[in-house]
Order: sequence, then structure tokens, then C-alpha cells
Amino acid sequence: PSLTLPNIPSGCGQQQEAIGMETRPETFSIFRTQENDPACQSEQHLGQYYTVPPSHFHTVFPHGLPPRYQQQVKTFNEGCVMVRQPALELISHLKRADYSKPTLRYLLYGVKGSGKTMSLCHTVHYCSTQGWLVLHIPDAHLWVKNCKELLPSSYHASRFDQPIQASNWLRNFRTTNEHFLSKIKLRQRYVWTKRESTEEGRPLGELVDMGVSRVKSSSDVVGAVLKELRLQAGGTEGGFRLAVAVDGVNGLWGRTTLKKEDKSPVAPEELTLVHNLRKMINNDWCGGAVIATLSQTGSLYAPSSAYLPQELLGEEGFDSMDPFVPVPVSLYSEKEFESCYLYYLDHIHFHHWLQHPHSQTEEGKKELIFLSNRNPSVLERLCAFL
Amino acid sequence: MAASLTGLLKPWTPRVLLVRWSRYNPYYLEPGPRKEVYHIPETELTPEQKEERELKSVRPIKAATNSVTSSVFNDPVLSKFVNMMMKDGDKIIAKGIITQTLENMKRKQVEKYHKAPEGKKAEIECNPYAIFHQALENCKPVIGLTSIQKGGKFYQVPIPLTDNRRRFLAMKWMITECRDNKHRRTLMYEKLSQELLAAFSKEGNVVKRKHELHKMAESNRAYAHYRWW
Repeated sequence: PSLTLPNIPSGCGQQQEAIGMETRPETFSIFRTQENDPACQSEQHLGQYYTVPPSHFHTVFPHGLPPRYQQQVKTFNEGCVMVRQPALELISHLKRADYSKPTLRYLLYGVKGSGKTMSLCHTVHYCSTQGWLVLHIPDAHLWVKNCKELLPSSYHASRFDQPIQASNWLRNFRTTNEHFLSKIKLRQRYVWTKRESTEEGRPLGELVDMGVSRVKSSSDVVGAVLKELRLQAGGTEGGFRLAVAVDGVNGLWGRTTLKKEDKSPVAPEELTLVHNLRKMINNDWCGGAVIATLSQTGSLYAPSSAYLPQELLGEEGFDSMDPFVPVPVSLYSEKEFESCYLYYLDHIHFHHWLQHPHSQTEEGKKELIFLSNRNPSVLERLCAFL
Repeated sequence: MAASLTGLLKPWTPRVLLVRWSRYNPYYLEPGPRKEVYHIPETELTPEQKEERELKSVRPIKAATNSVTSSVFNDPVLSKFVNMMMKDGDKIIAKGIITQTLENMKRKQVEKYHKAPEGKKAEIECNPYAIFHQALENCKPVIGLTSIQKGGKFYQVPIPLTDNRRRFLAMKWMITECRDNKHRRTLMYEKLSQELLAAFSKEGNVVKRKHELHKMAESNRAYAHYRWW
């Protein structure tokens, strides 16, 4: 039996308004669209920017956005995302997938700076507007490097806990999924210490709060949360859809830079967080989707020219992720570049970002194309100081 | 006499008045890297430009340095500033610091613009290049001091400064100020952007140093006749 969850009624009728708004020049621009709901965006909006409503912004994206984009949002006082082909493809797959079958895994890959994280964030916004439970891990590489405190795990002798990273992630998880925390009930009893335990039937929110306050057992709490969500995602009564969004998934396989006390290297399997996350990415549960991004930027011991899944995931990673739906993310096309250039040149919503007088001419534009090779992140860095 | 002397100059003639590392004598012309100059068709040239073109077809031209580009974003003053900030020939780091400074200045000004009330918005300058040039102008001293020996003692005598010297002094003061008077944890680009924004509004330590030089020169007015050039 296939799951029929009610589709959240969205303002698809806004499209009609957008056409009617042509007569008011100050709100109609060729590179912006009024269609702020990812569910209603289609090919006609390709290359246009839509604004994430400011009320949603901090709940949907407490973490997960690239740091430069966060700076840009702070400077411009608005979060605009470009509608691009990989994100639309992902959203259409998510709309039409059969959620009674085992989970489909989608992998975004592309050269450095081509917009994989932003496409992932666009998809996460779609999932949260549709009422899914979103499990967004901002960067899996942060869990395998630069860890100051590595505690031996209380649950399993040979594993290691990372209390700071786990409690940070739980805090952000709580901000994103407030409304689910009281609805989901635990199906198992969890014992933390001799005096503390969480009973069956308690709401998930209590577990998460416990994890945030008791930092020492936060990694085990993360494991428990993931297990509960995996069991309950496909349920028919009170069922919800689960979206697991992992950025930099190639960090889960490969090597870490962490060392044990006797200076021997720690393998990723020996970290509780990584172990539990790998169980999530396996497609042995149903009722949701796993969307992952490869990332060379934070990766360890990977050459900087590597961007294909085979190179970055390695043997072990590729075998675990196999079969997956690959979604390539390319550099800006001409239309997208135009749109990005016009966005930076916009003087209605903000005093234009491209301030240099020569950058507003044709010559300057040709030079920007040449210098950036239409790479989104390089273009952003160039326009920042021009 | 000067005309006949320049007629005697050949490409291989050594320089008479030596300049620091340059082996070119005045016979050589400067390179002109901007493309627009060469796109003007024959008919629209002014007489000076026609003369210049004829001279360029006859005389040899100096080789352009690596830092000079035909790009529209090339700024000679900014390049000079980058070179002065450079240590041990590491231009990548120096250029990186300057680009971060420009970006930081632009962000600060844009944020100020958003917070400002409607009437004040037009006065806020958001172009980092305009701010940089104006700040440098505000730091340039008008008159300088030099040490002249007269009757066994050295006096600080006020002298006029050439344009190059003034620009050099402004840049030097800016860079030494940012290097010396900053907190251990502040990064160079942060301090530099603060100083440039202060100099743009005529406050800050660099402008204060310029004013002090002017006051010293004013107080030593009496010794001005010791200058013989």
C-alpha cells in the first residue's frame, strides 16, 4: 500500500499574480521570481532567484548554509536562492517517488564551487515546506577532524564519542523540527546511567533536551534519535517522511585526522556518530529519502582535482552508497550567469553590490566571465571586492 | 640644446641621471596597456594623440611589468599600495589582504546604508575604490620637512613635496599605522578597513599624523629660507 500523505496546500496561485504584476515595474525583475514555494517552481523559473521568507529562515537553516552565503545574507538582509536544474530534478524525483519501497539515495556531485551545497539547501527547504522531518548534517567532515574531546563510548567499548559536535547538532536539530518533537513517541526504553533512563512512550523532545543538557551522553542520544526515526518513518499511523540531508558524505568513509591516546589513528567506524550515520544511509528503511553531497573542500587526504563519486567516496564508500541516483551539478549556464550578474547589479532592493564603475559595463562583464569561468563561488568572491 | 641632445640619444645610450633599478634612458617610451586608446579610428584622433601614435611607431618602448594588465579593473595606485604592503616578494598574500579589505569596507558601508534613514542614504559611499582613493587623498601631506645642515647644526626645514613623494608618504603612514597599532588578535585587513574608513571621514591616527607634520612645518616657518632650491 502506498503512502498518501496530504500535500501541504501551497500558494501555486502566486504564478497568476506574477504575470499580473508585470505592470508594476518596481517588483517585477527578470531575474527574480515571486514564487517563493519550492513545490511550485518549474522549468520556467530556471535561472531566477526566489527569496526564502525571513520567518522561515532561522528555523529551516540554523546550520548547513555555506559560510560565505551566510555573510551575504547578513549583508543583503535577504536570503535569495537561484532555481537551478539539479535542485529542480531532485525535487521532481522526491515528488514522484514511491515511499513504501526502500529509500532512494541521491548524490550531488560536481567541481569545486559549482553549487552542490546550495542545491542541497534548496531541496531541504522544499522538504521542510512539505512538512517532512529534516535531518540535516551540515558537514560530515566536521565529525572526523579537529575534535578536541574524544571520550571512549560508554555503550560500546571500542568506540569513541564526540560530545561537543553531537550536542551542537542536537541543538540545531531541535530548532529545525520543533513541531515534530512532541508528536513522535519513543518505542524503546533507553538507559543512560544507573539513575537516568528514558521510558517508552515519552516524546522525542525529551530525549533531545536530555542530549543537549547532558553533554557526555549526547553521541548516544544522537544514535538513539536516528534509530527511532528510522523505525518510525515508514509507519502508517501518524507517519511522516524523513529526509536525511548529508553534506560532504565522503567524510564518512576514508580516514580521519583524529588520534587515540597512544597516537594510533582512529578509523571512522570507531566513532559513534559516524557509525550511526552510516546505518541511516543504508537503504534498509522506507518512508523517506537520503540526499547527499560530495565535497572535496573539507575532505581529508583527497587531491584537490577530485570531484567524481568514484574518486571521493573510495571503494568502501561507493559500495555502501551503491545503488544511488547521481545528480551532476554544473557551472552556471549563460542564462544563469546573466541572472546572477543582474542580481548583483540590482539597485532597487539594495544599493548595487557591484560598485566598481567598470564592472557595470559590457567590458567588465566579459572580464568577469573570463576570470570566473562561470564558476558560482569564484564569481561571488570576485564580485565581493569589485 | 636640449632638442639636439635628445636627438643624440640612442637605445643603447646609458642613463645620465641614474634611477634606482632602471636601465632605460629617456629615449624609451612608457607602455600603454589600455585597449580603448587603440580602438579609436584614425579620423577621431586629436593632434596630440596623432603625434603620440607617430612617436610610438618610431621610438622603442619599455617592457611592461608583470603587475600591469589591460584589464578594466587595473588601478595603478592600488597596485602601488599592494607592492608597498608586500613582504619578501609574496604578492599573493598582499593582494589577498587588499581584496579582503575592500570587501570588508563594502560590507560595512552596505550594512550602514541599510540601517540609515531615507534622507541619509544618498550620502553613504559604498564604492570601496572611491573610499580608498579619497582616504589616501585625505592622508597626503601638503608640505614636508627635511634636515638641512647650516653652521654645524641640523635644522628641520619645510619644503614642498612632489606628488609621488606625497602619495608614498600617505601609503607608508597607513601601512605602518596598521602594522604597529593593532591588537595582537585583529587581522590586518580588519584594521586596514577601519583606518581607511576613518581616514575617509578625516578622523583616525593617520590624518592626525599628517596634521602634526603640518603643525611642525608651520612652527619651523622661520627656517624656510635655508632651502636653496
